[in-house]
Amino acid sequence: MRLNLPEGEVPAMEPKPELDQFETYEAFHQKKEGTAYTYVGPVHAPNEDVAFLFAKEQYSRRFACTGLWIARTENIQVTPYGNDGENVYDTIQFDEPTQRSEQPEAYEIFHLKKRGKAHTYAGRVMAKSYPEALAEAKKAFGDKGPIVNVWVVKSKDVLQSAEEDKDMWTTIPEKKYREAIAYKVMDKITKYKEENKPTTAQ
Amino acid sequence: MYGGGNVFEATKFDDLQTEDPAKLEEFEARIARGEKIEPTDWMPELYRKQLIRMIEQHAHSEIIGALPEGTWITRAPGFRRKMAQMAKVQDEVGHAQLLYSAAETLGKSREQMLTDLINGKSKYSNVFNYPAYTWADSNIISWLIDAGAIVNQLANAKGSYGPYSRALERICAEEAFHLKYGHDAVVHMATGSPKQREMIQAALNRWWPPIMTFFGPSDKMSTHTETLMRWKVKMATNDECRQQFLDMYVPKIWELGLTVPDPNLKKNMETGQWDYTEPDWDEFKRVINGDGPCNAERLAVRRTAEERGAWVRRALLNPKAKYVRPLA
Amino acid sequence: MNELAIKDLLYKLADDQLILGHRNSEWTGFGPILEEDIAFSSMAQDKIGHSLAFYTLLQELGEADPDTVAFTRNANQFHNNQLVELPNGEYDFSLIRHFLYDNAEIIRFEMLSQSSYEPIAKVATKLKGEVKYHVLHANTWIKNLGSSTEEAILRLQSSLNEALPYALAMFENSKYEQELIDAGVYSGEDAVKAEWLKRIQTVIEKTDLKLPDLATIEPKFGGRYGKHTEHLQPLLDEMAEVFKIDPTAEW
Repeated sequence: MRLNLPEGEVPAMEPKPELDQFETYEAFHQKKEGTAYTYVGPVHAPNEDVAFLFAKEQYSRRFACTGLWIARTENIQVTPYGNDGENVYDTIQFDEPTQRSEQPEAYEIFHLKKRGKAHTYAGRVMAKSYPEALAEAKKAFGDKGPIVNVWVVKSKDVLQSAEEDKDMWTTIPEKKYREAIAYKVMDKITKYKEENKPTTAQ
Repeated sequence: MYGGGNVFEATKFDDLQTEDPAKLEEFEARIARGEKIEPTDWMPELYRKQLIRMIEQHAHSEIIGALPEGTWITRAPGFRRKMAQMAKVQDEVGHAQLLYSAAETLGKSREQMLTDLINGKSKYSNVFNYPAYTWADSNIISWLIDAGAIVNQLANAKGSYGPYSRALERICAEEAFHLKYGHDAVVHMATGSPKQREMIQAALNRWWPPIMTFFGPSDKMSTHTETLMRWKVKMATNDECRQQFLDMYVPKIWELGLTVPDPNLKKNMETGQWDYTEPDWDEFKRVINGDGPCNAERLAVRRTAEERGAWVRRALLNPKAKYVRPLA
Repeated sequence: MNELAIKDLLYKLADDQLILGHRNSEWTGFGPILEEDIAFSSMAQDKIGHSLAFYTLLQELGEADPDTVAFTRNANQFHNNQLVELPNGEYDFSLIRHFLYDNAEIIRFEMLSQSSYEPIAKVATKLKGEVKYHVLHANTWIKNLGSSTEEAILRLQSSLNEALPYALAMFENSKYEQELIDAGVYSGEDAVKAEWLKRIQTVIEKTDLKLPDLATIEPKFGGRYGKHTEHLQPLLDEMAEVFKIDPTAEW
């Protein structure tokens, strides 16, 4: 890129306006068919579709992937964090819901098993509100060892990659040029050393 | 690619007396138990501030660090180098994205961080204020700057803040490729034609002084530093990182018959430490404060990129959107 | 099967992607937002990877190795269309080019994955998923920006008008066109063009952009026969800059 950069002193840049970098979406990926979706990180994006485009390259370009989920950060409800080794379902308060839907809706539940690790998908529950979903989650998956944090999000707020688009990921394992293992130089070094052994005569 | 060398300018030491003693005790006990701190946990203001500062500098170093090598993408010789160079520079931009996100969980927006970068208010790794004149300079950066960064980042990945550790784990995995790629390119040059050898030696000569400053000057051991180490914000001293880097990489440079441009560089068998000529810390300070060969250009490039992309962001902005900090 | 016809097709495919991959790679570090920077770089890498795959097929047919072919020829030996060699301009032009090009490329890949010429069919089948993402990316951006602010719509419209004469020349027939069709290698550029038109229209209709009357546009032909704009040779020189320091060396 040939940029025509300004010469000389330049005035300070105006502070970036709010939302210049958009809002954030959280991404979850599936490493292998049949394994649980795992949290990989956020992307900044103007909407769900663009967030998908972004997350696909930021979070699934370097490692095997078979699927991707996207959820707007704002739509994910988070419990407080518990201590490692404990089960947060035992200590959280189940608040009275402020809003309730008429019919039960599907909610997706994610668990963090240990601080510093990544949230993984626990499963789906049906409920009329976030607190009820959390209570349902406790019944359904709450006895599975230490859980330090829970994320709850409505299924309709999760964009899931389509089955027929899985071929977008098929060539990743072949991109060896971005793997450390593709670079083997010991032969060259050994050969160089042999040809350039220091002579003892000096 | 970040060596941690900038953090030394201590911010004003906030008085911990103002923190709730019971919460502080609980916080310190959690870290002492080896548990990570997560975004919504209670934390002392000093911890938050120092982490934001450190992660933000790290993020800036990635995005600015993409520039010197980025100019070599179109010129990289042959398919193998070309694709690797592209993937490598892309990773640096990706790392910036991960790190800005980690800093955001602590409450500073990406907008604010980018503004502070462009207006020179927050720093980035000093080495990127030096130019990459030739393809060989780019190779030295890929190998030795990334090697230095890995030493620092592997240490920091064991730090106490969950989002930063998670980001660093991924960054280190990706940088393993950078390091091998850089080494591969340097080995090809060093064992190649006389012209190639000459190029790589010249690049090493240019880059050695900045590399020696990459981890920053010796730490002043203050209560401040001790607190940050107890809180597992700072995981190793600058000198520890530098010594570890010299231990791992000087032999690899020497085995290629290259010379390091420091006549005093040798391992001291009595102390087990490397002796070296003290880097020019006055130059370091001058450059980090803006007066280096490329400071103005690096920031101008970043600013131009932001300004040229502004119409795209304006067009897609949804005024009803609500910014929420990333979760983890 | 006439080997010259296959080689001509392979050169065309490979050169397009090599040049566009380089152009797109110039955005690395300069994208409008970090996430898009990363996505655009991935697609640039894919393009260069695709060109390598096709140069490798050429090598199997007796041509020189991919590095030599890609980095030592002069502009008049290149078979890419002129659209891909134009400078990046602003992001609107790069996006429009990406949209026009990849919507044609996916059709070629779909056709070639059914090719009677098995080596091409294999490569096209394997790489199709990547191009699918490129198209998804392009169409999503055009749909979003093309119905956003007046500023964005104006920019895209003017880039579209500027790019179309070059884009229409992507389908310039080769002298082996009928042979390739008859042998079932693929359905030929006119068929690609007809399908391309349908697809880009579908996307453009969802925006505030207008597709000009294509009958009034004179396509910028010549690229497939080695005729190029003044922009290609400087790019080729840049691509070979390090290589040429010592052409016998292993880099």
